Amino acid sequence: MRFSILAGLGLMLWTAPAPAADLPLFDAHLHYSHDAWERFPPERIVAMLRQAGLRRALVSSSNDEGTQMLARLAPDLILPSLRPYRSRGDVSGWTREPAIVEYLEARLARHRYVAMGEFHLYGADADLPVPRRMVELAKRHNLILHAHSDAEAVERLFAQWPEARILWAHSGFARPAAVAEMLRRHKTLWCDLAFRDDHGAGGKVAAEWRPVFAEFPDRFTIGTDTFTPERWPYVIEHAAWSRAWLNDLPKEIAERIGWRNGEALFGTGDR
Amino acid sequence: MRRWLVLALALWSLAATAQPLDPGTIAKLLRHGPWPQAAIADPSNRVSGRPEAVAFGRALFVDARLSADGRVACVTCHKPEHGFGDGLKLGRGLAEATRNTQGLFDVRLNRWFGWDGGNDTLWGQSIRPILLPAEMGLTVAQAAAILRREPDLACGYRRAFARSPESVADEALLVDLGKALAAFQETLGGGRSPFDDFRDALAAGDRIAAARYPAAAARGAALFVGRAQCAVCHLGPAFTNREFHDIGVPFFTAGDQVDPGRHQGLRRLAENRYGLLGPYNDDPARATGLLSRQVAARHRNWGEFRVPSLRNVALTAPYMHNGSVASLRDAVRHYSELDESRLHADGDRLLRALHLSEAEIDDLVAFLDSLTGAEARAVKLAPPEPCR
Repeated sequence: MRFSILAGLGLMLWTAPAPAADLPLFDAHLHYSHDAWERFPPERIVAMLRQAGLRRALVSSSNDEGTQMLARLAPDLILPSLRPYRSRGDVSGWTREPAIVEYLEARLARHRYVAMGEFHLYGADADLPVPRRMVELAKRHNLILHAHSDAEAVERLFAQWPEARILWAHSGFARPAAVAEMLRRHKTLWCDLAFRDDHGAGGKVAAEWRPVFAEFPDRFTIGTDTFTPERWPYVIEHAAWSRAWLNDLPKEIAERIGWRNGEALFGTGDR
Repeated sequence: MRRWLVLALALWSLAATAQPLDPGTIAKLLRHGPWPQAAIADPSNRVSGRPEAVAFGRALFVDARLSADGRVACVTCHKPEHGFGDGLKLGRGLAEATRNTQGLFDVRLNRWFGWDGGNDTLWGQSIRPILLPAEMGLTVAQAAAILRREPDLACGYRRAFARSPESVADEALLVDLGKALAAFQETLGGGRSPFDDFRDALAAGDRIAAARYPAAAARGAALFVGRAQCAVCHLGPAFTNREFHDIGVPFFTAGDQVDPGRHQGLRRLAENRYGLLGPYNDDPARATGLLSRQVAARHRNWGEFRVPSLRNVALTAPYMHNGSVASLRDAVRHYSELDESRLHADGDRLLRALHLSEAEIDDLVAFLDSLTGAEARAVKLAPPEPCR
């Protein structure tokens, strides 16, 4: 009997369409680095985010000054995240650069953040001294780790800090079954879907993703990934694209992935 | 006889002193031929390959009456001496465009046309500049009226399509105009290059003939298919995979406007009446439209541009979608000093900064230069025969 009621509720969840046009969004993957702020002033960026219908935006930048400019201008909208990058060029060498630790310590002493990242970290590099120190700092400041990593590095991060809350950028570009397996293994792992199309191309949820979203409706977020300044105007396009495929999900799941999961993860729901 | 023997020995000696290519490199180089490729008629264009249509298209190509001010023809931007490009950073018809003009040699081999691939037919791509306000700036009705009004054009049309322009609706007439232009452009073969002679000599195991190829170009060829991995995208006989990539070239246009590249092209393709999925495709089976039906926009398409052929590339400077790279040497330097932070880092990136030495840059430039042949360098457009 209980099963049939649950099954019935499940069916209702899967058949009620989401209100696409009005769906607010939480974009959990944005960067506002030096070449972006040289081109688009903070006011223009905030206008783009509001035009896209974003309720909240997790922003990091290389260097951190871009994030701070946006956070000062729109504290209701911007959630600041700290990257271990003094410039975008640090993407490839930061794990072996001790000065990164000093940079992080200095920024953490001056500003408040909700996350550490997005950082690029693969395999055994996660256990190098600089990433370890970054994790210690995140732990001390109770920050979510936003990791652009393979599954191995995610495992190593959890080994260093079992209670860590990790937002797995691009869900590691892993297949949906592998993403689901990681979510089963780690109860404090969340997955952003930035810069991947396989789950929602053409406004339709892919068959292999649908059961993953059903099993973990509270563990996914969306994100644009503005990794070059030219991608900022794409935030608006991306929001429309996201609403299209979210509209192919039951309303409750669409809202969770679209914005509620981000609010819950970052504790911003009552702000 | 003795003189020939001395020459052969000298060439053999040259071959012996040049760095020998390993079998793997030779196998990779052989994939860039044979050349030229066989001409195949375009099934979506019923006049493809017909001499009367080629002649009419040739006349249209140089005819400035097909523009709003009567001063811009196709040849204004597609000049033979520039590989049918224009030598300018940005194209200029009635006004300055936002993209570099692409060359037309061997254009028949393309799968997508234009930097963004918004057209899937050469005839559709040929219609586009006629209607664009910044290029030739006509309306459909104006183009049709010119074709009907001018006796020599009407004559050419009748010969090419075996019907009177008076009997054809405006849009169908414009499409036929595009198809005649395409029939002509299909004949613009770029000819053979020194590389083709080298490649065929390697295929034949002819060391003497292979040794005639400059040593620097041979080293550049090995680098091209080897460590530099250029052939991953510039592959096959036409030196292109015919698809789209982001190679780290900024894609802002004027001010803070962005050229979305392939992303915009896919949108245009979906709305395009002058393509394989539209009403003017002459292929009754519509098998040619399969790819156009299936292709869908992806996030990575934002700022991607078509991989151009490298054949006759020495004639088509400046380079890249926005003409921002002045010379072949600068193009090689772009890849040597690639700003990897502009590319999405997903852990399995195709492009890496090559960090080439000056000697390696010289070699790659010598190789690229060898993809341009004497035939392409000498090509001229003879005045069209008047149709009476």
